[in-house]
Amino acid sequence: MPKSLFVDPVELRQPGEITFAPIPVNQYNKSIKEELAEKNFSNEDLKRIYRDMFIIREFETMLNLVKTTGGYNGVEYNNPGPAHLSMGQEAAAVGMAYMLDTDDFIFGSHRSHGEILAKGLRSIEILPEEELQRVMEEFWGGATLEVAKKGFKGGSTKDLGVCFLLYGAMAEIFARITGFNKGLGGSMHTFFTPFGIYPNNAIVGGSGSIAVGAALYKKVNRKKGIVVANLGDGALGRGPVMEGMTFASMDQFTRLWEGDMKGGLPVLFSIMDNQYAMGGQTRGETEGYNFAARIAAGFNVDAMHAERVDGYNPLAVIDGFRRKKALLEEKKGPALLDIVTYRYSGHSPSDASTYRTPEEVKAWEDIDCIKCFGERLIEAGVATQQELDAIVAEMKSVIFEMYKLAIDEQLSPRMDLTKNTEQLGEMMFSNGSVDSMSDATPDVNHPMEENPRVKQLATKERFAFDKDGKPFSKMKTFGLRDGLFEAIIDRFYKDASLVAYGEENRDWGGAFAVYRGLTEALPYHRLFNSPISEAAIIGTAIGYAMCGGRVIPEIMYCDFLGCCGDEVFNQLPKWQAMSGNILKMPVVVRVSVGSKYGAQHSQDWTSLCTHIPGLKVVFPVTPYDAKGLMNAALQGTDPVIFFESQRIYDIGEQFHEGGVPKEYYEIPIGEPDVKREGSDVTILTIGATLYRALKAADIFKEKYGISAEVIDARSLVPFNYEKVLASVKKTGKIIIAGDATARGSFLNDLAANITTMAFDYLDAAPVVLGSRNWITPCHELEEAFFPQPQWFVDAYHEKIAPIAGYVPVCNMTDAEMVRRAKEGI
Amino acid sequence: MAEVVIMPKQGQSVESCILTEFKKRKGDKVAVGDVLFAYETDKASFEEESKAEGVVLEVFFNEGDEIPCLTNVMVIGAEGENAEEFRPGGSAPVATAVETKAEELTTDAVAKEETTLIVAPNAVATPGCGVSPRARRLAEKEAVNLAGVAGSGPNGRIIERDVKAAIEESAKMTPLAKAVARQTGAIAPERGTGLAGTAKGADMAMLKSVVGASDSEIKPISNMRKIIAKAMHASLQNSAQLTHHLSADARRIMELRKRVKKAVESGELATNITLNDLVCFAVIKALKQFPNVNAHFLGDSVRLFKKVHLGLAVDTERGLMVPAVRNADELSIVELASRLKEVATACKKGSIDPDLLSSEAASFTVSNLGNYGVEIFTPVINLPQSAILGVNTIVPRPKDIGGGVYAFVPHIGLSLTYDHRALDGGEATRFLKQIAIEIENLEIEF
Repeated sequence: MPKSLFVDPVELRQPGEITFAPIPVNQYNKSIKEELAEKNFSNEDLKRIYRDMFIIREFETMLNLVKTTGGYNGVEYNNPGPAHLSMGQEAAAVGMAYMLDTDDFIFGSHRSHGEILAKGLRSIEILPEEELQRVMEEFWGGATLEVAKKGFKGGSTKDLGVCFLLYGAMAEIFARITGFNKGLGGSMHTFFTPFGIYPNNAIVGGSGSIAVGAALYKKVNRKKGIVVANLGDGALGRGPVMEGMTFASMDQFTRLWEGDMKGGLPVLFSIMDNQYAMGGQTRGETEGYNFAARIAAGFNVDAMHAERVDGYNPLAVIDGFRRKKALLEEKKGPALLDIVTYRYSGHSPSDASTYRTPEEVKAWEDIDCIKCFGERLIEAGVATQQELDAIVAEMKSVIFEMYKLAIDEQLSPRMDLTKNTEQLGEMMFSNGSVDSMSDATPDVNHPMEENPRVKQLATKERFAFDKDGKPFSKMKTFGLRDGLFEAIIDRFYKDASLVAYGEENRDWGGAFAVYRGLTEALPYHRLFNSPISEAAIIGTAIGYAMCGGRVIPEIMYCDFLGCCGDEVFNQLPKWQAMSGNILKMPVVVRVSVGSKYGAQHSQDWTSLCTHIPGLKVVFPVTPYDAKGLMNAALQGTDPVIFFESQRIYDIGEQFHEGGVPKEYYEIPIGEPDVKREGSDVTILTIGATLYRALKAADIFKEKYGISAEVIDARSLVPFNYEKVLASVKKTGKIIIAGDATARGSFLNDLAANITTMAFDYLDAAPVVLGSRNWITPCHELEEAFFPQPQWFVDAYHEKIAPIAGYVPVCNMTDAEMVRRAKEGI
Repeated sequence: MAEVVIMPKQGQSVESCILTEFKKRKGDKVAVGDVLFAYETDKASFEEESKAEGVVLEVFFNEGDEIPCLTNVMVIGAEGENAEEFRPGGSAPVATAVETKAEELTTDAVAKEETTLIVAPNAVATPGCGVSPRARRLAEKEAVNLAGVAGSGPNGRIIERDVKAAIEESAKMTPLAKAVARQTGAIAPERGTGLAGTAKGADMAMLKSVVGASDSEIKPISNMRKIIAKAMHASLQNSAQLTHHLSADARRIMELRKRVKKAVESGELATNITLNDLVCFAVIKALKQFPNVNAHFLGDSVRLFKKVHLGLAVDTERGLMVPAVRNADELSIVELASRLKEVATACKKGSIDPDLLSSEAASFTVSNLGNYGVEIFTPVINLPQSAILGVNTIVPRPKDIGGGVYAFVPHIGLSLTYDHRALDGGEATRFLKQIAIEIENLEIEF
């Protein structure tokens, strides 16, 4: 809510009407001769367009035959993986790629073989030969090129490049280690960044926000090029796509961002409008837009410069891209193209196309984009039938050669996970340690020491207690939020690529004042408010990191994680391994766990994140740990879900001797910390439950003479069990507690593993103390819901070692556990 | 004023000792110089004498307990003095070794009441109810039969504290008795035949007959036996040993021996010099010429000694001991003879400095079985030493004494075992031959 924007009641209450900019539909009508006269193309260019379209058609035909007949040209192969094919969409793909440089990035969908090949072929065409040679030789140390060469019948470097592209893509689709992503991406995730081909996405619309993040990266880091998000028309039903478009259309880019940062994002939403979403027909059945391009009208006053173009004429598509790219380069983005096209194949080879008539398919085949384009070339005298036939014959032969290589078990082996059992495991995290993802000088508004918050923190007490053990006042104490701030501002001054955004990040200093002071320190483009679009907040962060930046997206309440479920669970954790470790993902997602705000604002969802392989999960609850772990998270190259508790943003450091150091330090992610030593029972906590566990430890000691050892997990993934096992071997007893609702929580995972590894040392099964399996009630009723200090004593008495004369406050008997489970509560 | 008797530290490397026998018990009167208890390290046995006069007020351990050095073992003082303050700090292994006395039980009970931790155990353990893994582990270690233990855990589960209580209440058992109980399931009698009613292995056998129990006895081996077993086994496992045999004309040393006897008898010589001393003297001379033999083999390196530190195998009641005579090459034959005698006697009395028993203390060892008439044997190397010489009995052998005339000449047998990793056969043989030459040409002065 910047003060510079006046919310004027007079203006807002004026009568009037909204008019929409007209959205052109299929306005292109140039003949080939006209294009040649305007010197937009040479004869060779046009023939190459024909060639590229044919390569895609034959590539997809090959995959279709493998899927449906178990072979191609009589050479048998079984490909059990997916094949979402795009026969019929070749002109759209080749037209899309034609105007793009290697600096221009494309993102795709589950049906993107055509787009990948088109962009790859275009990059091969425009890259200088020596550069192309270098790219091929350096990729996987030349392993992919070596195999492709075996089927290369001679010719130029560019001809070899075509072999390389076709082989790399096929090997990837067939899950071979020589594939573009070591076979870990597969059909729906094949990509090749040196050619500007960024990930496609098996989740419909997945690229709708990720591509926007890539554009944000280009803009903030002053990188050349535009970003194209290739989405199907079906993706327009997806919330994250709407959110991505909202994010891309934010007014602040043109109204609030300053200097060279002023202006729209260089992103082009390219709708591959093939009329079908699975078996659902978008136009007339599952959508109401009539024209896909219409949706653009809702996003900004320019209607994203939207246009519908004829995707069955490659030159119409090229014309559209030429004009939209120019707009983006003038910082007038975002833009949207609705490319009318049609797929002959079903959703997948198992789709019997029961939802359409053979007549409909035939009508499109009659105007087939390749056939008609060939006829027009002959008609315009650009090529003869013999020339076109020669192109077809040559490309068929190249594809067949590459096919034979890609299915060869010796030349193109799969990752051997029987022999190298941990090979994939080692790819889940990059575990990098990088000060800065950028060589640039960070854009800041003043030297750090002049920052008002930095100056204020210098006067604060960095340990919670004075030398007599008396606590300092909250106002004087350096709190957890201050620890986070110090780590984050430090990184903003070290790493020019670092940006942070979320729902209210700038003017308030974040909803919980962690960022107070950053507003003064940073220009808009490094710290800004996002729309209330969690999917876009995380999705754009993923795109931003994929391209090489570091980013801190914020999810204001843990409860909102569901709004970005796909981004947090499917995208963020997967891309490092799915890319064959080509991509890094330095994204630190700050997630605040609420309190006092009831059922939809007070939930601890750490367990949901620990369940997903590929995410690091931390939950520090002291200022020392918060600063050290934030430093470690920001120094790393992996996605970290960084949980914070709203109960304790102001808490002082009570454990680390000497208080929170002023200097930079890191706490390794994965190491639990013994907060209080003891000998009779171990208490392991996640999150702010630590402080209630310490109160319980006091009760144990004072009332029952039981000495409790209290360990703070600090990190959940990774997690080093050694300290916990040593403690359990000593005490023989453990209570594992956290604020997550108990059923299915990570607490149970810890308990199961501790049971397995310390079984012979246990005097009782580990006791899990989570929240009740209810909605979180209002603050006044919270004590019945979250684990309380007395619950620990109850658990000890009921499940570990009965205490004489003790009367428990909760019913923790086995019978009650059975009853609750029966009831599902 | 009560005096505390601690477990002495015998040598640098000794961390704990086993108390083998109490010579004085609680309540006994003690004078200065009285032997209080006997104990042994892994290498030697010792006796602790009293430095104080009075009554044994308290004894904190049982026979057979392994006691960390410098830990309080017993208290001597005037009758009626309190010794409780000296009790070693109640850690579990020590606590289980504490003697059971009525008064102690009472104090324990009070302490438990204060903590309010113990719930009155269920009168009888429900059959089939659980035992925690930790409790089961402790029960197994301490040979507690869980059948009679009542569980105080949730649902009557037997937990660690129940087993601990059972240990407190049940008869003390020697380690052997525990082993028998574990193997056979035998239950200890309420009162055993051992000290303070401790159940011994034999008591267990009485209760439950096992096969062969009537005509055999399981007996724990001494600490030293364990050490010897380990060292000898390790030696044969970890090196490449072989033995060469050769004999030397013994006429020269037999003559020297005769001279010595005469001198001793006439009072000219105070110290007796045995044949073994003479052989050792000859060995030292040979070793000076073969530095590779006077060495420790360390796997990837060798330690060559500038001096000869001669180890001597000594047979004692407790078992084989090998004390070292340091810097033996500096000694005259008389000095060598008296040093060898000194260490052998110390070994037999158990007063040897344990540091001298370390296999690292000697650079080479001599083992003499000649006294027993052994004609040939293969001694085992005391690793990391490179070789050991076995000395055999003297036997007459036919020998060409010139002019085709054969006579029976006394020969002393020499068996050299060497580590082929350290030495090759040629060098070993040359060394052995050199010993023979030294023996045949030995010169001594006294």
